[in-house]
Parts: sequence; C-alpha cells; structure tokens
Amino acid sequence: MKRTFMMVMLVVAMMSLAASAGTISGKVSGVSGESVVYVDTVAGKTFPAPTAKPVIDQKGLMFVPHIVVVQQGTTVEFLNSDKVAHNVFWPSVGGNKKLTHNLGTWPTGEKRPFKFDNPGAVPLLCNVHPEMAGYVVVSPTPYFALTDISGAYKIDNVPDGSYTVTAWHEGAKNQSKPVAVAGDSKADFTLSK
Amino acid sequence: MEMPRRVSVLFTLVLTVVLLTGTSNAIPAFSRQYGTSCTTCHIDFPKLNDFGKAFKDAGFKFPKADEDFIKVPQVMLGAPAQKELWPHTVFPGTIPGLPPVGLRYNQFFQYTSGNANNYYQPSGAPGSVQPPTIPRTDFEPGYFSIFMAGNFGSDIAFWVDDDLSVSGQNANGALGDGYLRFVNLGRFFKLPTDALTLRVGQFEPDLPFTQARSINISPYDIYTQANIGSSSQNVNNVYALQDGVQGIEFSGGHQYGGYHYSVAVVNQNTSGNTASPLNVSSPGGFFSDANYKDIYARFSYRFNLEKDPASRHDIQAAGASGPRDHTYLSLGTFYYEGRSVQRFNGGAAGTLLTAREPFYRVGGDFSFNYRTFNLFGLFMYGHDHDLLLNSPDDPTGFIRGPAANFNGGFLEADYLALPWVMTILRYDRVQSTADFLNQVASGNYFSPVGSTRNRVTPGVQFLIHANIKASFEYAVRPKQALSYDPTTGKPLNAFRTNTATGALEFVY
Repeated sequence: MKRTFMMVMLVVAMMSLAASAGTISGKVSGVSGESVVYVDTVAGKTFPAPTAKPVIDQKGLMFVPHIVVVQQGTTVEFLNSDKVAHNVFWPSVGGNKKLTHNLGTWPTGEKRPFKFDNPGAVPLLCNVHPEMAGYVVVSPTPYFALTDISGAYKIDNVPDGSYTVTAWHEGAKNQSKPVAVAGDSKADFTLSK
Repeated sequence: MEMPRRVSVLFTLVLTVVLLTGTSNAIPAFSRQYGTSCTTCHIDFPKLNDFGKAFKDAGFKFPKADEDFIKVPQVMLGAPAQKELWPHTVFPGTIPGLPPVGLRYNQFFQYTSGNANNYYQPSGAPGSVQPPTIPRTDFEPGYFSIFMAGNFGSDIAFWVDDDLSVSGQNANGALGDGYLRFVNLGRFFKLPTDALTLRVGQFEPDLPFTQARSINISPYDIYTQANIGSSSQNVNNVYALQDGVQGIEFSGGHQYGGYHYSVAVVNQNTSGNTASPLNVSSPGGFFSDANYKDIYARFSYRFNLEKDPASRHDIQAAGASGPRDHTYLSLGTFYYEGRSVQRFNGGAAGTLLTAREPFYRVGGDFSFNYRTFNLFGLFMYGHDHDLLLNSPDDPTGFIRGPAANFNGGFLEADYLALPWVMTILRYDRVQSTADFLNQVASGNYFSPVGSTRNRVTPGVQFLIHANIKASFEYAVRPKQALSYDPTTGKPLNAFRTNTATGALEFVY
C-alpha cells in the first residue's frame, strides 16, 4: 500500500514537471542560413556550467562547424586538423572589445581549450587566413537552439514563465522579444542586416 | 637640335621610370582555387610571406596535404586506374578545375619637379613645332596583364604572364615569365625533398630580391644598370640584372629556411647587333643571336632564429599570438657570366668581325627579418672586358682595352605597420664610371654630376582591399648638371629632379 502510494505520487510529480517544462519554437526569417535563438538572462537564476566540451575544428581553411552555441561557462576546445599553421582569436565577445583574446599557436592535431564565461556572440578569426570565420554564441541560459537552414528552431524543456528570447544571425542585428512560456510557445523573428 | 633631343630623352626616361615598375604578380587564381585570401601567401602583394615562399617552392601547391585545401577539384586527365598501366610514369596528370587566370591593372600619377624641364630650349626656326615638355603632373595608364599559374599534378608547375598592354598601348605588351617547373626531381635520385627542381622556359633569374615581384613603384637602380659602351668602350652590353632570360634552371632547397641554390644556363642575353639578314631561319621563325650560353648561379642560406627547433624548422614560426614569418638572417651570393656580341665590318678585307666580349656580374645580399620588419640589401659589382678594334681605320681584330666596371646596390627597410599599411625606406646607389663618362656629357636625365648616383626613396602603401593597393613613393634623385666649369670640370648650377609617384593597382 505504501509502495503504491509512492508510485502514484511519483507519476503525479512527473506529470507536473512535464506540464511546467514547455517549448519555444518558431522561425527566424529575413536572413539565410543558420541562426541562433536563446533565452536571455533570467534574473536571480544561475545555471551550472556543463561539463561537455564541444570541439571546433580548423579544417580545409574553415572553422568546422561554422557556428557553435554553448551555455555560459562552457569550455570549447579548438582543434587544428590542417597541415598548415592556424591561429584563433576573437576581437570581442558580445560586442565588448575588452574581451578580445588570442589563443596563440599550437601544433597540428592538438587542441587548445577556452572557457567562455561571458555571454554573447564570439566571432572567431584566424590571423593568417583572414577569410576564415566562425562563431561561438554563448547563451546565458541552457535554453538555446541552432536553427536549420530554413530558420526553423525549437527550444525544449523551458520551464513555464516569462522570458526574453533573443535571435542572433551572423551579420544581422540581434532581435529580442518577450515570450511567455506555458507549454508550447511560439516566437518568430524577422532579422535585418 | 641638341636640347629637344635631350628633352625627348628626358620624357622617355620619365615614362620608363613610371613603367619599369616590374610586372608584379599576385595570383588571384590561387585565391579562387583554394578559397583563401591573398594574405595567405603575401605580406603586401606581390611580396611573399614565408608560407608564400613555401607554396612557390612546392610548385604552386600547399606544401603538405595540398588536396585537402583545394576548393575547386582538379580535372583528371585520365582515370586513376590508368596509372596501373604505366606505373612508373606520371601520366596522365590533372589540370586545374577552373582556368587559373588572374588579371592585373595599374595606373600611375606622377608629380615631377619643375627642374625636369631645365634641359629644354627652343630650337629650329621660329615658329617650328617643338617636342613636348615634361608635365609637372601626369596620369599614366600602366600594365594590363594576364597571368596563369598552377600545378598539373605530379609536381609539374606552370606559369605564364603576359602584358596585354603597357601604357595604354597593346603593342608594348610582352611575355613576362613563361615556364614549366618540374618540382622535386630529386626524389628520383633519392635526394632530400625539394633538393632538385628543373625550370624550363623564360623566367626572371633567381635574383636575391625579385624585381618582378617587387612592391616598389620604381625598380632597383642596380638591377636596371647596363654597362653601355660608347666612345671609350666598343661593345654595347645592354644586359641588366632584371632582364628575363630563356633557358633552363636547376634549383633546390627552400626559400623559407636553410639552403637554396640555383644554376641556370640561359641564352646570351645581350642585344648587340644581330646578323642581318638572318643567315639561318629557324623552323619556328624565331631567332636569337645566342651562340654562347650565359650562366647564372646563386646560393643562399637562411638562418631562422627561433629557439624552439620545431618552430624554427616549420614553414612559419609559432608566435605567441599566432603563426608569423620567422625571425631570420639570410645571406647569399650570385654570379652571372656572359658574353656581349657585336659585329663589325672588317674594313678593307671585307670580313665580318665578331666581338664576343666577356662580362660578369657578382654580388652578395642579406636579409634580416623581425616580425613585420624586413631589412635587406644587395651589393653588385659589374665588369666588362673592353674589346677595342685593333685598328679603327682598317680593323682586323680586337685588342683589350681598359675594363668597364661599375658597382652599386640598394638597402631597403620594409615595415608592415598594419596588415594593410606598408612603409618603405630605400636607398639606391650606382657607381658607374662608364655610365658617367658615356652619358653625362649628353645631359641625360639620370646622369649625375659625378660617377655615383644616389637615390633615397621613402614610400607608403595601403591595401584598400587585399587585392587593391594604393602606393606612393617620393624619389630624391641624384644631382644633375647642364654645364660644367671648363677649367675645373665641376658642375654648374646642379639641381635635382625629384618625383612623387602614386600608383593604384588591382588584381582579380
């Protein structure tokens, strides 16, 4: 009897949780290619940094993948798979030029890590191949998504509540809008250069 | 008529200075093929960085894993399985996926000191038409050039560049370099990588500092210096170090570190009088008076100065903020030996006399680089035997006169202040007794008041885009004089004719 009661309570709790964890989906238009949509800073709330370390490769004189979205506090590893010398630096983070950083030089096949503690878009450059460009978009929350080529996105497991959601696209102006999440919510963006 | 002739010479030489900028070559075709910027290979096009030197050494390929970087796949000239039929050949090869064509255009603006017209004096009958004077300011179209380069696979590289028009006139265009280069032939003899490469065709010799790919608007004076005979010399030798040559060249080593050598056997590169009419017509309809083959040789060694061995031996050094050119000291030497040919009427005997006057050029060079600062220089000594007719009235042969010598060189400092701003300071010097003796009396534009010509040329260049460049230089020229004190021989009213030149060029 006691065990049955516990099971019922657990199911109720799970249903309750499921009911309060919604989604935000929609489409980013006005631009072509992949965009990033993320839930902006939530006042009074912090999120533990993930332990996973995404890798950005330099291969064939390109950053691969071109765009990586991470949660604030994530360590990204930069790999050079090319048999030419490369470098990674960024002139700003979220437009803040004081956060410029240069990772220097390291041998082919090795990685160099960097922990991104500041939110915002980080334009990655190589100082010997100026045509190379990549982006790390640092989201202040774990609620983010990379759109597909058509601009469609879906952010899962967003607790019900009111948020500011921001859309970012390479070369376009950011757009933010308030979104009330209660179950499945919609938010479309139209970006412009 | 003397003054107008002088002005005419002056005008011609001003144009020559403007247009002797060299057929500098950056290769947009490589940018397209590899999807990369000009700055991958160039500091300030067409000057190569260390990676560009390695790219060139490798036969216009990425030195390692070239196929990983090609964005436009090469076209196979046969199925890969064809190699099984002929396993010991390089047949059938590949061609670039896109026609590897690049184009270049430049134009100039020059401001010339008013002293340039000091030579001018009206001549002829009153009212007669006079030759043009030197304009104080002048816009000049420059080169419109096409160039093609790449690799046919199997380490066979090619290069062809041609000036479609010069100074707005297509008749002045000419082939620059055109050659095939068989890279790393040493592998067939189990030699170290790149120890032996063969180049065949027409090309700029392996000069210590290229004129064809110089970033300067005006050429190095010593490279354009010919030892021209006149009254006191008999044989005209118009050869200048910057001249293109036709022949074969063996070379090896690397330009970005360690040793580098080249030995070229080339056509006699003098334009002494040629036989006329041609006594033998070649099948191709071409003719050169090149019975003798000249030899050019060069050896250099570059010491990369990084402490870390891996960085020191790599193509680029590992800097704290990214890869960069090495800090290095390079030392080199070069030698050219040839013969000037000129034919004379044997006089009463009615024989054809052929003077084959030996000459040589020898020199040394250095280059020191620290980050984006490059200091380099060259010194050259030129020597021509002087073959004089043994009897001016009835010559039957030649006797040796006093040799005609000259020397000189240049010292240049390049500093890339920003990735798109290059500052330059250059000093040119030519000391040519023969030049002085032969030309100063005629009031030549460039003739100095002494046998030494010094020129200081500061400059600055801006890369508006990686492929568009605006260049400026101001040349402080040597003093000239129109007349001399008959008793002391010293020049009277010496003056300088300085020039400020701007150039705008683009490649695409």
